[in-house]
Amino acid sequence: MWRDLLIRLRALVRRRAMEDDLDAELRFHRERQLEAYARAGLSPDEARRRLALEFGGLDQTREACRDARGVTMIEHLMQDVRYGLRALRRTPGFTLVAVLTLGLGLGANTAIFSVVYGVLLRPLPYADPSALVVMNETTPKVGLVSVSYPNYADWRAASRSFSAMAIVVGVDYDLTGGSQPEAIHAEAVSSNYLSMLGVRPALGRDFTAGEDQPGAARVAILGHALWQAQFGGDAGVVGRTLTLDGDPVTVIGVLPEGLRASDSSDLLIPVGVWLGDDDQAAARGNRGNTVVIGRLATGADLDRARTEMGGIAAGLAREHPDTNAEFGVALRPLREVLVGDVRPALLVLFGTVVCVLLIACANVANLSLIRGAGRAREMALRVAIGAGRRRLVAQLLVESAMVAALGGLVGLALAFAGTRGLLRWLPADIVEGATITLNGPVLAFTGVAVLAATLVFGLTPALQAARTDVTTDLNEGGRSATSGRRQRRWRGALAVAEIALALVLLVGAGLMLRSLSALLAVDPGVRTDGVLTMYVGLSSDRYDADEAKQAFWTRLLADAGALPGVEQVALGTNVPLTDNHSRTDISIDGQTFPVGALPHPDVHIVSPGYFRALGISVREGRAFVASDRAGARRVGLVNRTLAERYFAGVDPVGQRFAFGRQAPGAADARWITIVGVVDDTRMYGLDNPSRLEVYVPLGLAGASEMTLVVRTSGDPAALVPSLRSVVAAIDPERPISDVATLTDLRDASLATRRVTLLLLVGFSALALALAALGIYGVMSYGVAQRTNEFGIRLALGARPRDLLRTVLGPGLALAGAGIGIGIALALGLTRLMSALLFSVSAADPATFVSVSAGVALIAFVACLIPGWRALRVDPQMALRRS
Amino acid sequence: MGDRLDLPQGTLDLLILRTLALEPLHGWGVSERVRQMSRDVLHIQQGSLYPALHRLERKSWIKARWGTSDQNRRAKYYELTAAGRRQLETQRSDWAKLTAAVADVLGTG
Repeated sequence: MWRDLLIRLRALVRRRAMEDDLDAELRFHRERQLEAYARAGLSPDEARRRLALEFGGLDQTREACRDARGVTMIEHLMQDVRYGLRALRRTPGFTLVAVLTLGLGLGANTAIFSVVYGVLLRPLPYADPSALVVMNETTPKVGLVSVSYPNYADWRAASRSFSAMAIVVGVDYDLTGGSQPEAIHAEAVSSNYLSMLGVRPALGRDFTAGEDQPGAARVAILGHALWQAQFGGDAGVVGRTLTLDGDPVTVIGVLPEGLRASDSSDLLIPVGVWLGDDDQAAARGNRGNTVVIGRLATGADLDRARTEMGGIAAGLAREHPDTNAEFGVALRPLREVLVGDVRPALLVLFGTVVCVLLIACANVANLSLIRGAGRAREMALRVAIGAGRRRLVAQLLVESAMVAALGGLVGLALAFAGTRGLLRWLPADIVEGATITLNGPVLAFTGVAVLAATLVFGLTPALQAARTDVTTDLNEGGRSATSGRRQRRWRGALAVAEIALALVLLVGAGLMLRSLSALLAVDPGVRTDGVLTMYVGLSSDRYDADEAKQAFWTRLLADAGALPGVEQVALGTNVPLTDNHSRTDISIDGQTFPVGALPHPDVHIVSPGYFRALGISVREGRAFVASDRAGARRVGLVNRTLAERYFAGVDPVGQRFAFGRQAPGAADARWITIVGVVDDTRMYGLDNPSRLEVYVPLGLAGASEMTLVVRTSGDPAALVPSLRSVVAAIDPERPISDVATLTDLRDASLATRRVTLLLLVGFSALALALAALGIYGVMSYGVAQRTNEFGIRLALGARPRDLLRTVLGPGLALAGAGIGIGIALALGLTRLMSALLFSVSAADPATFVSVSAGVALIAFVACLIPGWRALRVDPQMALRRS
Repeated sequence: MGDRLDLPQGTLDLLILRTLALEPLHGWGVSERVRQMSRDVLHIQQGSLYPALHRLERKSWIKARWGTSDQNRRAKYYELTAAGRRQLETQRSDWAKLTAAVADVLGTG
């Protein structure tokens, strides 16, 4: 095979020399033969005649030898390329339009595929990533929850399906001693975490088994991003000391870049440090912010692991009913956890650009057919003088491939320019942690797309052209009736396909549009405009005493409230529209709940101004006041959903609840009296239903971390510097983080859908324009071809209305077929995007009807213009021309 | 002249390989040797001989080099490669089986 290619190539490269060789060889043969004839007694003249007779033509022999050497295939290809270049230069209009159309399609595909590859397909940077499984505990009340440390330890000891199991605990710290205090997210991990992933620190060492024990030395492995930001990528950082929440911590290593799993965490600490610091860590009922990752043992599969872990969880539930009753375990592949949420949006986008490319191909095929019709004579001539039909097909395909390749280059340029913009524009939760570049696999994809496009748009015109009928095409100037009819059928089919694809995209865009407008109509329960939120934490020894915390919060409220432009200021634990939460079971005085069935609301600790600052209305009773503080009556608020579910027909005001399970006669001191009911808020984004919520006053509960909520009449972002200095004036070591306006948070909760919608709308508008052009091209070409016929008809007294009908009829039939097929396709395909839809069905009749009507209207207009032109045919001119 | 035969498809390669198995030859030599060995029955035309030689060369069954002929003229000599020798053995036994079978059927054996 290789040798064969080598000989072919050598034959090609050393063509001149080999031709000379061949000539010499043949000359030698002829001379020897002449000598042989002379020896046999023939006269020189007779010998030469005999030679010519016996040997046949020299040229044929030469050609046959070339064929045998395998030169011809490559030579033909080069001829075709040269010929194609000439042909494309002769029709610059066609070439330009075709290259640009394909360039747009291929560019969109390359750009979106680079995201799809980077996020969904690129192998995770771990050893054998498909064996990594994420484990959570589950409860019927809330679904997936965190894993408590003792349960993890028992899982690890009991399970056989995993070769390794590691725990990852999310911990927040205030990092000080660096250039600027910073609130960071750390992960406390078991010492086998990195080695289980197959990751080695880029600098320094990994954790050791001893560091899994409580009271382990305070060490940390820096994340790559934090290392760059706070230490400028200094390789000498190993051995240096940081301060986390006031405690010194020694840096022992740095993580490599692009780790993905721990990308959102700034540094890793050994789980032993967390166990030593947090006196709740070792409690079996404490499910904080923890996940367990396991590596399936060789031979174990996910289903068997699920069965085994389910059995272990059931055993733990029997052993520890107070903490583990009703708790199961859920296993998900790591990749699923990392990208599961964004897959639908990306696949919808990818499907969209593939449709756009198909439509672009159909359009170029259409153009090629028109161009081919004009070249029918040329083709017929070439067949007449001996060109094989296969040769013609090959030649036209080479021409198409050149157009596609040029389109591919334009597409790469567009994608190169567009990917960066796309990345800035795509929501962070889609692209987070993924490396997105025009790398090898993406380029390979573009290459495959170019080849596929060549076949899709090039094969039909090539086969058409090669099926030329020599006599008629030569006689009738390339407008034979049969090939014309065949052409019309093909081009009609292409127009139908384009309309169908465009309709699918438009239906997709329509469904997204309805989802987004439904989401925007959702009342978040808060007034989002003019509100700034920022996180402030007090994790330091200085604030161990409740009084110190209260003093800090009181002063912060007073100082921030005194800033010019600030209308309202308040503190709360968890802001709506984020998925931060703190939930707990509550008991309700006078009601009994079976095991595991206690109400499980979100708990907010808020300052009195919270409801006014966020615009949450109080429906019954009162909001909190400054006198709701330690020593006063314990009061709380509930939201409407909780009031309706648990106090139906009763006035909730005056009723009592308490945290955790309480015996019916529990001491009064535990109960909290409900003094009011407030409206629901959307805690977890607009697309999540309202949940149960309870509020307790900050003055009563105290808290070591709060979100400051500031309502202003001006630009909220302009307040950030002055708020920073207010905090720094109280305590320069307090870091501020997660600064955002509520409008930002609302937009972020819609970002994936909004971007998907915008891209869908853009691409489907492009698709519709291409499809309209396609049907317009078919119709106007048909009219142009039938100019004579129309002229004769008009001359014979045909009414314009009849003529219009003959033009519009077939056009509208094509449009109708396209719309019908499109609806059927869309019904099948839109179900795939149901994960992106909100309060609208994937088969929403309103969307289908309005999109179909719109497409029909545009198709009608696209047919009307050629029809109108048919009416203006001047019979005299038309007849004279024929 | 009258008793010349057309070669069945595929036998030309076999004949060329066989003549080259004895010694390296130039193209004319191959056609002469075949003529002699077939007692003047088989004549290979230039128009089929040279394409066949080039095809066999591409398949690496024979290789070519320029040499000097007996009359001190430059000529292109072909010789069998190891692969060509193996090919000859296979084709030869195939041919023997085939002709024996055909002869049996025709009753000429």
